[in-house]
Formats: sequence, C-alpha cells, structure tokens
Amino acid sequence: MVTAIGLAAALVVAACGSTSQAINPADQTGTLTVWLMNGSAPQSVVDGVNADFKAKYPNVIVNVEIQQWSNVTTKLDTAFAGSAPPDVMELGNTLVAKYGYNGALADITGQKSSFQNSGTWLQSLTDSCTVSGKLYCVPYYAGSRAVIYRKDMFAAAGATVPTSMDEMLAAGQKLMTKYGSDPNFSALYFPGKYWYAAAPFVWDFGGDIATQSGSQWSGAINSSASQQGLSVLQNLVSKLSRADKTGDELKQDQAFAQGHIAMIIANGWEVGVITDKKSGNPSLLPNLGAFPIPSHVAGQTAPVFLGGSDLGIAAKSQHQALAREWVGLLGGTKYQSQMVTVGGVIPNTTSLVTLSSGLPAIFAAAAKNSRFTPNSPNWANVESSNVLQNMLVAIFTGRSSIPDATKAASDKIATILNASS
Amino acid sequence: MRAAGEIGATKALARSHAEASPFNFRAAVARHSLPYALIAPALLVILGVLGWPLVMLLWLSLQHYGLRELFQHQGTFVGLKNFSTILADPQFAYTLRTTIIFTVVNVGLSMLFATLIALLLERVSRFVRVLLGAGLVFVWATPVIPAVNLWQWMFDYEFGVMNWLLTRIGAGNYLHHNWFENPLQGFSVITVIVVWGAIPFLAISLHAGLTQVPRELVEAAQIDGARAWQVFRHVTVPTLRPLLLVLFSLSTIWDFGVFNQVWVLLNQRPAQDYYLMAVFSFQESFRVSQYGLGSAVAVVMIAILVVATFLYVRQTVRSINEGGA
Repeated sequence: MVTAIGLAAALVVAACGSTSQAINPADQTGTLTVWLMNGSAPQSVVDGVNADFKAKYPNVIVNVEIQQWSNVTTKLDTAFAGSAPPDVMELGNTLVAKYGYNGALADITGQKSSFQNSGTWLQSLTDSCTVSGKLYCVPYYAGSRAVIYRKDMFAAAGATVPTSMDEMLAAGQKLMTKYGSDPNFSALYFPGKYWYAAAPFVWDFGGDIATQSGSQWSGAINSSASQQGLSVLQNLVSKLSRADKTGDELKQDQAFAQGHIAMIIANGWEVGVITDKKSGNPSLLPNLGAFPIPSHVAGQTAPVFLGGSDLGIAAKSQHQALAREWVGLLGGTKYQSQMVTVGGVIPNTTSLVTLSSGLPAIFAAAAKNSRFTPNSPNWANVESSNVLQNMLVAIFTGRSSIPDATKAASDKIATILNASS
Repeated sequence: MRAAGEIGATKALARSHAEASPFNFRAAVARHSLPYALIAPALLVILGVLGWPLVMLLWLSLQHYGLRELFQHQGTFVGLKNFSTILADPQFAYTLRTTIIFTVVNVGLSMLFATLIALLLERVSRFVRVLLGAGLVFVWATPVIPAVNLWQWMFDYEFGVMNWLLTRIGAGNYLHHNWFENPLQGFSVITVIVVWGAIPFLAISLHAGLTQVPRELVEAAQIDGARAWQVFRHVTVPTLRPLLLVLFSLSTIWDFGVFNQVWVLLNQRPAQDYYLMAVFSFQESFRVSQYGLGSAVAVVMIAILVVATFLYVRQTVRSINEGGA
C-alpha cells in the first residue's frame, strides 16, 4: 500500500518534470555543456552570461570548458562521433562547413529571427554559418589581422608608417640598419608557416586560393597574380625577418614581448597577449601602434582574411532549447558589447562595430576589406593537411621555386576540395 | 603351469584393461584439454584486446569511412579501393622508404650503443655501475611527451641551448640554425631522441644477459689466446643470441611505429618530409578524416611488421630449441 502510494507519487513527480519544461523555466533541470576556445571570451563575459542564464534557469547546470586550438578538430570529431557531444561549441569559422555538411550541427534556420541582431550579423560570418542554404550556427565574433609595430623603434630609426608594400620594405630596411647588429632582431617577424598573414599578399595582387565554377574547384594559388604576391612577400621575409622559416605563429607574441622585434602581423587580441602581466611585457603598451597591411597600390590596404568564430549546437544535444538560449545570450547585444570593449574583438553585428576604439578600431577597420577561404566542406582538410603552410616553408627555405611550390600546392588543393567527402 | 599362469596373467591384464578403458579415455580428454582450459582466459583477453580491434581495423580498411560515416556509424564497403589509392600515392612510397631506412638506422644505432654500454657496465667499478644504472633508469622513467618537449627546447631555433653551445665551443655559427629545415638533419635529431630513449631497456637487458655468460668459457678462450674482440665474437654473442634476437625484433617493432617523437617535436604539424608510417596513418585518419584510408595504411604497416618479425621470431624459436637441446 505504502509502496503503491510512493510509486504513484513518483509517477506524478515524473509527469510534472516532463510537462513543466514548456511551462516554467525555473523547474527545468539538466546540464548544459559548452566548449569555448582558449582566449575567445574574457572570463567576465562568460561569468556574466552564466549569471543571466542562471537567473532564468536556476536548476540548470552550465559547464563551460575551455579547449585549445591546436588539436581541436580531432577532439570535435571524436565528440560528434559519440552519443553525448557538448551541447554548444565554438567553432572556427573555417570549420563550420565541414561539420554542418556532415550532419553534426543542428539546423537552426527556423529560429534565426529569435536571435538578437540576426538582421545585422556580419555578412562573412553569416556566410560561414550557411551550408547549402541552411543556417548551422550563430556568428560569435570576428578577427582580422593588421601590423602591430613598435612606435619607439620606428621613431629611432626614422621610419614612418607605410602606406604601400614598397614603403613597408623601405621602413623595414631602415629598422634593420638601425638594429640589425642585434642577431635576434627582426624588423618584420614572419614565421614560415604563417599562412593567414601571407594570404593578404596573394589577394592584393588579385590572386586567390581556389576558384569554383559549378561544383568543380580549381586551384588558383599558382596563378601569375598569386605568384606575384608571394614573391613580394618572399622578398620582405628574406630581407626583414629572422624568424624560424619552418616555425608557426604560436610563439610570435612571446617573441615580440622580448623586445627584439619591430613589426608582426597579428590579430587584435594579440596586443593583450604581448602586454600580459605574466607571459608578456606590460611596459610595451604605450609604444605599441597598429596599421593595416598596406596594398601594393599606394594609399590602399590589402584584403585580409576574416577569421573568427561561430557558436554551433550539436544535432545530438538533448537540450536544444536551452542551448539556443545560452547561445542567444553570448551572441546578443549585451555581451557582444562587452566582447568589443573588454575583449577587443570585432562583434558579430555591424550595429556594434562603432564601439571599438584605440588599437582595436584599427583592426576593425582592416576587416572592412576582408576575404574568406573557399567555403567548402572539404576546406578543413586543406587546413589539416598543411598544404599552404608547407608551400610557404618550401618557398622561404628556398627548397622549391615559387612556380614549383605553388603548382604542387594548387594541384593538392584542387584534389582535396573536389574529393567526395 | 607356466602356460596357465601366463594365460591367467594375460586374462587379468585384459580384464583390467577392459575395466580401465572408459576411465582412461576420459583422463586422456582431460589431460589434453586441461592446458587449453588453462590458457583460455588469457587467450580470450588477448583476442578481445588485440584481435577484435585488428579485425575492426581490417574491416575499416575495406570501407569508405569519412566524417559523415563517423557521425552516423555507418560506412560503405569499397573492397580494396583504399589500398589501390594509397599504393598509387607517391607520398606513401616516400613514407614507406623513409620509414624503412629510419628503422634500420635506429635499430642499428640503438643496439650498438646499448651493447657498448652493457659491456661497459660489466667492467666498471660497483660505484660507477650503480651511477650509470641509475642514469639509465632515469631516462627510462621519463615519460615520452615531456622528454620530447625538453629535446624540443634544446634544439629550438631561437632560444635552444644546442645552437648556443655549438656556437660557443666554436663549431661554427649556429645562431638561428634551423635543425628542421633540412629533413636529413631533422631526422638526425629525431634519431638522437629515439636512440636515447631506447638505450636504457636494451642496455639493462643486455647487461643482465652478459652476467649469464659462463666465466669458464671466457677464461678458456683467453687461455687459448683469444683477444677481447674474438671472445666477444665467438663466446659472448653466441651465448646472447636468443636475447639479441628478441631485442632486435622488439626494437624493430618500436622503431617502425615511431610517432610521438615526430608529432610532438614538430608541433603536431609535421611537414610531409617527416611523415613516417604511423604519422601518415594518423594524418589520413584523424586530420583529413579519411578513416578508411588511414586504416589501410595501418594494415600495410602491420603486414610489413609481421613479415619482418616473423623472420626474427623463427630464428629466436630455433635458437631457443637448439639451446634447450
């Protein structure tokens, strides 16, 4: 008898649990797992989003886990292959096509209008979220690269902020004359695998990575325009850089903070890494300036790669509505404003771009002339295969000529992009 | 009388044989199946842990298995297409060649240095032997990833102690010398790390083996006027033969599958020049998400290892049998 009453009570409670989901947010329970990338949102922003979320859903636990960029695709593949991937994940904008196309992300086309500012989202981020006409993520933030330079070194060497690639070379040579006796000095520190800093040179001369006609891709990195851009870059690197020709850009901020470098090509947020109290050198801040990568045409700027991140929801997530709610908060006006003012990034909506000031404003301005990588589900494989990085290393180390290296890379890119995945 | 007695005895024998026959049969079955029953648990574990993944790997290598298939847990059977694809890939040919050369060089150097150190251990004083042994055990106890990271620091382009040291002792200008620009140099660095990591186990095993070489054999050879090299060649090596064969085959398996040293040393983005078989397989599977192709590479790798180690194992078994007889 007692057992029967207990059982009945349990059934009633269980019934309440399932029906109340639609009615009262305060009664909702569960755990929402969120993967954000290292360095993307300041802790205060994450805390703010969680606090607002908790106010509405006091019984839902949110676990925000920070992931590292270096191995993230392998980790995401594994998570998506399992039965319980994270509910919400930050995805580099070049990765969305791959996961959207292969069915890992929830289609949120129908809910687009429920997200704040969805009408004014940055076009290129929205494009990165769109696969075959369907929306698979919410734009999170954008980043573009510009040149960070040492004002004091420029002044001491009598160099001025360049407005063309030729002037950049001239300024760099003045700096090398002044400081070059220091064996660790680089006027422009350019690690050999730094593809995203090399792309502007290719695009500026009218070159491209690959072009699409119909469903067929053909490699374009070996076009004469692309080769011209790469040869200008090769000249800059050979005269101004003593960075590792086979290295990548992961250590460039720490290297810059050591004080033997006059210019690096970097994202806006890297200013924070350079002047970080623990790993960087805060005293450099007053001497830091920034300018957009100049074009070979005097007075213009070179197109830059618009990097950035989007927020996706796993198709297998058991908490679709809660996940959309959390994403909506981080992607909405309140926290996007903080991402600009505290985080120094470019927000996901054009309506908030004007909030940036100081150095971040220069990076935001550089983003106006921006480009994106080929929007193909296979593009992530080009990145994972290091095709362009290996091409640059071959060119800078002199192991291949520019025509040979670009031809090999172009063929490989076309093969990968045209493969049926 | 005698005949009757014989007949009686024969009858008795026949009777007892007839009585014992069913019992004996059961005993025979028990006697023959007992060993199998005893090894069955171990066999089951081995089949489950090694056999099943191997079967799955074979099965995966016959499928088209990309990212979509991974998420849906459903591949498409394509027969031997993955194998024909990789065999036609010039990168695979390069990788195979490089891996074989790499293995031969690394096994050779590891065994050479380990033998020299083992011989040294036998001759030095007790104090030095303890010191040297402790050093070897420390190397052995260092986990691979931190160890490779330390080596990476030492060979760093900008801040590496190796460049500083070589410049300092006047070996030339190694300031901003890039050890990984030229693959031959890069592989030399990797070889140093692999051999460094392999020596402790090999040297300690060989030293243990050396203590089993009969003193009287060595002394007899010396009395007959054999030189140190001749003693080593004609007394020590034949005695150590089974052990040497085991160590050679283990080293071959390890060095053929080198992955961590390359992957960590080159920041998880090794250039194609640095692809060894294991790196190539990982790259195809987990970086390019072509799990079928990656599995095919792994299957080829296992096939080569099986052939190579079969020769070793056969030799080992033979020499053990000869030793036993």
